[in-house]
Amino acid sequence: MSPSLANRLTIGFAIAFAVLTGLAVIGVARFLQQRQDYENATARSYQREIEARNRLAQGQKPAAARAEVISQQQRRQALRDEISSETRDTALLVGAGLIAGLTGAALLFTGLIASMRRPLEDLVEASGQLAGGDLDARVKVGGLSETATLGGAFNEMAEELQRRAGERDQLDRMKDEFVLTASHELRSPLTSVQGFAELLLLERERLSPKQVETVEVILDNTRHLVRLLNDLLDLARSDAGRLTIRPEPTDVSSLIGDAARTMRAQFDSHRQELSEEIEPDLPQVEADRDRIRQVLVNLLTNANEYCPQGAAIRVKAGRAGADIEIDVIDDGPGIPDEQLEHIFERFTRGDAGETQRVGGTGLGLAISKSLIELHGGTIEAWSTPGNGSTFRFRLPAVAHDRAGVT
Amino acid sequence: MARILLADDSETILLLLRTRLEMEGHEVETATDGQEVIDAMSGPAAFDLLLLDAMMPRKSGIDALRELRAAGIDIPALIVSAHTDGGDDNGDRSDLAISGYITKPIDFDQLFTKIAELTER
Repeated sequence: MSPSLANRLTIGFAIAFAVLTGLAVIGVARFLQQRQDYENATARSYQREIEARNRLAQGQKPAAARAEVISQQQRRQALRDEISSETRDTALLVGAGLIAGLTGAALLFTGLIASMRRPLEDLVEASGQLAGGDLDARVKVGGLSETATLGGAFNEMAEELQRRAGERDQLDRMKDEFVLTASHELRSPLTSVQGFAELLLLERERLSPKQVETVEVILDNTRHLVRLLNDLLDLARSDAGRLTIRPEPTDVSSLIGDAARTMRAQFDSHRQELSEEIEPDLPQVEADRDRIRQVLVNLLTNANEYCPQGAAIRVKAGRAGADIEIDVIDDGPGIPDEQLEHIFERFTRGDAGETQRVGGTGLGLAISKSLIELHGGTIEAWSTPGNGSTFRFRLPAVAHDRAGVT
Repeated sequence: MARILLADDSETILLLLRTRLEMEGHEVETATDGQEVIDAMSGPAAFDLLLLDAMMPRKSGIDALRELRAAGIDIPALIVSAHTDGGDDNGDRSDLAISGYITKPIDFDQLFTKIAELTER
């Protein structure tokens, strides 16, 4: 067991107290003793002088008596000189003792503080590393028992954090694996449900209107399930770092035209207007065509579903430095700030009423963000409630010399 | 119209694909694993196209195709896969001359277009 700081302080304080008290007692006692001796000697000297003066008055051996008086006067002068020198010595001794005691105490405390400082500084540094995410940070345990205990507790805490982080990583991997397998296994039965429902609809003329409607509900919901499954799969792949893209020089205008064609029927059915504003002579972008088309379809689907009938939606593309900037702009109801903040997070959707009406999975924008970032691009959104929303993403343009080759 | 050898380990999917392909006027024979594909190919019937599930028990569509290619048979082959990225990783496929991938759930318009492209040459 290491010595404790509290014990050391108590012992140090007791020793300092005893030494200083002892010095004070010895000093005062010696001073009083010297004073007493001096007074006794002085009193005896006066006594002898008075006796000598009496003899002188009575005329007994006058010469010897006179000499005695002078001798006693000289003796008292000598005593006075002696006491003042002794008092000075005692004062010097006590003073020196006090200074030595205080210096000793000061050295003791400085030593204790110094012995705490090193482990405390180590702890401060290690805490900073741990807070910064370095879970390997540990301190050397030792020295005073308090800092040793603190250091031990810190190391245990870091150990525990590291263990939990490891467990969490493993759980994450299991979750990703599970989603990948589940979405794979669900695909076969879904293929049958969708395929046979489509088969039924091929014989539409032999079904009653009610039956056609029923089959269409089955198909709609199956397609929704498939979309959800694809989105979940993409997200699981993205989490597992297995979402891959195959970028190649791609023509922006044909990409936008492609996505717009896919969405045309939905916009027509909502009587919404979809227009394209593409800057002429745009360089190509480095992009996985299917994936960027998926992002554009996601953004257009949101505009289509969240905007009222008759809304106008524009897709704009232009240069922005070394990037190509693509905007999807609508004049719909807009997005409140508190929703806009989380709009690229999973399962973030419009408010509850809207969600009932709109059929999305709540995953489209999260996937779009992953895909754009995989391309080395950025995506952002802004909106004025009541006055439409804009979603903008940027992709790196193909360097000019390469564009010429392809 | 084409003669198609169709392989999948699910009876339901086989029935679905067979029905749709026959409605399009194709002639269809079925197999439930890779070995049956190889047996059918060494039989008397001649086919224009293989439509193989990537993952089947005993012998997968990919393994069956690898054996057929090794035997010098160069019939066009479409692979049906539950993976959206053609996954089911079992080795290098670059020498298998795969004509295309069909993802489940099946987009039949896309499938019919591909079959037409591959068999009208």
